[in-house]
Amino acid sequence: MNRFATRELSMLVALVAIWAFFAWQEPVFLSARNLSLLSVELAVTAVLALGMLVVLLPGQIDLSAGSGVGLAGAVAAVLVFWHEVPAPVALLIATLGAVLVWSAMGALIAIERIPAFIMTLGGLLVFRGLHWLVIENQTVPVVEGGSQNVYSLLTTYYLPDVAGYVLAGLAVTAIVASALGARKRRQSYGFPVDDGELTFLKLFVLAQFVFLVVIVTNGYRGVPIALVILGLVAVLVHQLVTNTPFGRYLYAIGGNEEAAAVSGVPVRNTIIGAYALMGGIVALTGFMQTAYSGASTSTVGSLMELDAVAACVIGGTSLRGGRGTVLGVLFGALIMASLLNGMTLMAVSPEAKYIARGIVLALAVWLDLRLGKGR
Amino acid sequence: MSDSAVLAARSIVKRFGAVTALDGVSFELRAGEIHALCGENGAGKSTLIKLLSGVHPHGSYEGDIFVDGLPVEFRSTRDAERAGIAIIHQELALFPEMTVGENLFLGAFPRRFGRIDWDRVYAQSSATLADCGIQLDPATRVGDLGVGQQQLVEIARAIARKPKVLVLDEPTAALSRNEIDTLLAQLRKLRERGVACVFISHKLDEVFAIADRITVLRDGAAQGTLATAGTDADEIIRRMVGRRIEDHYPRRQSTCGRTLLALHGVNVDPPNAGGLALRGIEFEARAGEVLGIGGLMGAGRTELLMHLMGLWGNRRAGTVELDGQPFTADNPRVALAHGLAIVTEDRKRYGLVLPQGVTFNVSLSSLKRLRRGAFVDRDAEVARTRTIADDLRIKAQTLEQPVGTLSGGNQQKVVLGKMLLTQPKVLLLDEPTRGIDVGAKLEVYELINRLTAAGQAIVLVSSELGELMGMSDRIVMLCEGRVGGTFERSEATQERLLAAAMGRLEHAA
Repeated sequence: MNRFATRELSMLVALVAIWAFFAWQEPVFLSARNLSLLSVELAVTAVLALGMLVVLLPGQIDLSAGSGVGLAGAVAAVLVFWHEVPAPVALLIATLGAVLVWSAMGALIAIERIPAFIMTLGGLLVFRGLHWLVIENQTVPVVEGGSQNVYSLLTTYYLPDVAGYVLAGLAVTAIVASALGARKRRQSYGFPVDDGELTFLKLFVLAQFVFLVVIVTNGYRGVPIALVILGLVAVLVHQLVTNTPFGRYLYAIGGNEEAAAVSGVPVRNTIIGAYALMGGIVALTGFMQTAYSGASTSTVGSLMELDAVAACVIGGTSLRGGRGTVLGVLFGALIMASLLNGMTLMAVSPEAKYIARGIVLALAVWLDLRLGKGR
Repeated sequence: MSDSAVLAARSIVKRFGAVTALDGVSFELRAGEIHALCGENGAGKSTLIKLLSGVHPHGSYEGDIFVDGLPVEFRSTRDAERAGIAIIHQELALFPEMTVGENLFLGAFPRRFGRIDWDRVYAQSSATLADCGIQLDPATRVGDLGVGQQQLVEIARAIARKPKVLVLDEPTAALSRNEIDTLLAQLRKLRERGVACVFISHKLDEVFAIADRITVLRDGAAQGTLATAGTDADEIIRRMVGRRIEDHYPRRQSTCGRTLLALHGVNVDPPNAGGLALRGIEFEARAGEVLGIGGLMGAGRTELLMHLMGLWGNRRAGTVELDGQPFTADNPRVALAHGLAIVTEDRKRYGLVLPQGVTFNVSLSSLKRLRRGAFVDRDAEVARTRTIADDLRIKAQTLEQPVGTLSGGNQQKVVLGKMLLTQPKVLLLDEPTRGIDVGAKLEVYELINRLTAAGQAIVLVSSELGELMGMSDRIVMLCEGRVGGTFERSEATQERLLAAAMGRLEHAA
């Protein structure tokens, strides 16, 4: 318990340090406009990272996620722009396709025992090639001219101010209710809980944070719909991994696959399920990232899989499986998104950005190993 | 000690924690003799040879070891090798991706101008192999060889170092009849050259075919050294048994009900060619009954249980009936769903998700039945786990404590609890008391009584004869994948059980 708290605290300190540094170097970092953009970038990174969490928990990996993001976005864009398919239908088709393809990869990994690293590395190359084929090496906008559709709105729609506050109110109520409910349950089980004051303090800070986000984003155009999507995906994945048999199986397989199998865990189907879910999340991220770029180009999604893995690892997910939480991944994604956003503001060259990302990733893993010692 | 002893041990005491593995053992190997070590599982044979070959370094035991009459202090296996003692362990230690020649010379490659002289490696390998009577191309990849041939390569490797003493720990376990003959002939040839040999085998016919003298160990104490010419198999078996039964076995017989598990003429082929196969397995377990399964190491006890759970081998013939219905499990899920559950021997590997808590582990096999809608019903999960934990007296700070931090006995109870929560009709227990303290052992025995009283059938695999005889209503002894003998509780004696395990039932009967 103590170690966990140390870890959370050190992540918070790192985040504050990063923000303080960028605010000092580029005061515009803290402007409502930039923070609003940052929240959209966070949403895209974090949604993919949450999918990666589901794959990492049973000790697998998905290196093809970034290429898949580009491909799914491209398929939807081509359907909408060149074939005039209605946007919702296009998104549905691309999503179903992704779920199918990822299920197939999952089946090859789980049943044929192709190592996930190799299988998805192959996927990375294949999907990148398909992506470029699909867009015929052109730039394919997600929508005609200045008009809008469901696709383009994914990252350009902002909730009206009032709706933002209502949503924040609902969210805070739900969080407080579920937190207090969980606390009461744990007490009834005789499990240790934080004392009342600490619980209140945590919830109070969280509520303040939620309203702060709304106030800040309302200072620009309102709460981005992308952030709402992230919230929904986060709640969904959290419920899935902590409260369903499927989620328990993910942790069990990652913790000890042989014991899981002997215990009657459907190891193969669980792994296939994890990849199927990843396919859906890759498609969703693809739509958001492509919409954010305004068009499908050959570079959309490039290297996003590594940002997703980095976010997971920074957030305390074990690459060997069996350990990781949604909250941690959200934190990790926020750190990654903040770094990228801040460096862009400071006009850091792409070369230096790559180097910085790499160092942060290695640093995070090293830190994780240090803090994880004695386990 | 006689002057001709090349290797001798005097008054050796070796402890592992609270367990005394060797208790004042003396042993003497004469030049040019083949000396067999016999004893039950856990009698101390492997511990003794590990001491003689430096695996357990000087200082970790009491007593003295002598080579050619001079005291030695082996700090590592290298020291022992330098003193001319080569050991061939039960588990193969070859590199499957390398060729036979590379394996033979690994660590001692002949060099030329600083580079490995491959011509000499292969020329010498050929000579060594021919010398050992093994017909093999030294350029063959070891992984492409059968287990038996690999064993011969291992022996050739030891011989290539020109040892004074060769120690073989069950070298024939994986060999075919022909390969065994080759090996035994090879050992005789080495004896003619004056190489002394320590030979561990469970197969008494081999022992009598090759050994000059036999030392029997029991419970970590030597039971005398006999010249092979002056003794017979019955005498050896008599000395091997008679283990003191210190533990209390509180078996209470319960009334037997219908047959819950029955095997008729079951043949199972191993997943890998050349491995142990099960042949003609025949037994039944009734409600309220404990069926004991015994046998020596490698007799196929664990494989049999794993097969029933759908984890090992392909059934080629015979039928398994579970509660009167024909039954085959492709995986443990099917088995668990039909009321068959297993507590495996290696609980850390097959039993527990160590970083997770007690509740997580106990409920893992029953999550489908602990649902409310799509979600796990936490109330029911915690309540059931608490009931089980109280019932089995699992000692944990909270039910969330990671099971990796629990004691061995409590870990075993968590695995038991997980299986009990599935409400099995038949519970397979593979060495359920291994590595747990006496108190926890007693609790496991009490649990067995309660479960059988409640009408479950228990299949108990144990390598401790005392435990088998104390806790089983009927005992099946396996021997090399076959049933060596079946005994009612009243007719089981240690001699008869052991004779059956060695495939020599007719001699002891």
